Amino acid sequence: METRSTLPWHEMRRLQREMEHLFADFTPTWRWPLTGEYPPINLTRADTGITLEALCPGADRASLEISALGESVTIRGERHADPGVAEEQYHRRERPLGAFTRTVNVGDRLDPERTQATFTNGILRVQLARAPEATPKKISIQN
Amino acid sequence: MATLMTTTAPTSTARPERAARTISPRVDIYETDKAFVLLADMPGVGAGGLDVVTEGDELIIHGRVERPASPPDYQEFELGDYHRAFALTEDLDTNGISATLRDGVLRVEIPKSPGVQPKKIPVRTE
Repeated sequence: METRSTLPWHEMRRLQREMEHLFADFTPTWRWPLTGEYPPINLTRADTGITLEALCPGADRASLEISALGESVTIRGERHADPGVAEEQYHRRERPLGAFTRTVNVGDRLDPERTQATFTNGILRVQLARAPEATPKKISIQN
Repeated sequence: MATLMTTTAPTSTARPERAARTISPRVDIYETDKAFVLLADMPGVGAGGLDVVTEGDELIIHGRVERPASPPDYQEFELGDYHRAFALTEDLDTNGISATLRDGVLRVEIPKSPGVQPKKIPVRTE
């Protein structure tokens, strides 16, 4: 395939500076090249369970795997480049692509049978249930 | 999945008040014989929260996200609205731009004007 040698995309330098400034506010997992682990995650704890959210936009749905074992949850997936596009056709490549695996220890024993997950707008949301022995119990105070 | 044609005039949403947390989405841009393709990571943005606008020689992408009511207990990312602008050259067909959003990735296709697309010249043998 022949591509034109001119570069019709000239992103404004002002915005680029702004981008660099904005990225400075983020954790190293957002920097390019990725020095931290991918995908970045958030954890929210509640009495009913633990919610893990992972940012993996464009991940191939068929490739997504979630498993829980002991206190750990592992997420696997792949982000693919568009097929049939040669390296020399790219003007910019900023998006991290490829296979990813991340294991997170959530600090509580999990019940794998009650793990649920959704993938909406590029956010993988895993609802983790604690094992019965790890579920917080409210202790009533007796006089 | 939403399809947004950016042939309408820019709206007031093109230049919103910049929120405290505005993220410049990461993009890939590649070129084919007929078009430029832009892919932007915008996790958290649904079809209703996305604007793709051409304004003069600029292509502006803007996405709004719903932030969680309370911060997570352990945090590696923070959701914020996305904003990034690109300059378009005259040899691109801004009326033919199309956009789709799937699983947090925006895909914008900007066709080249017919005059700059490669044309195969048939060769006759004599």
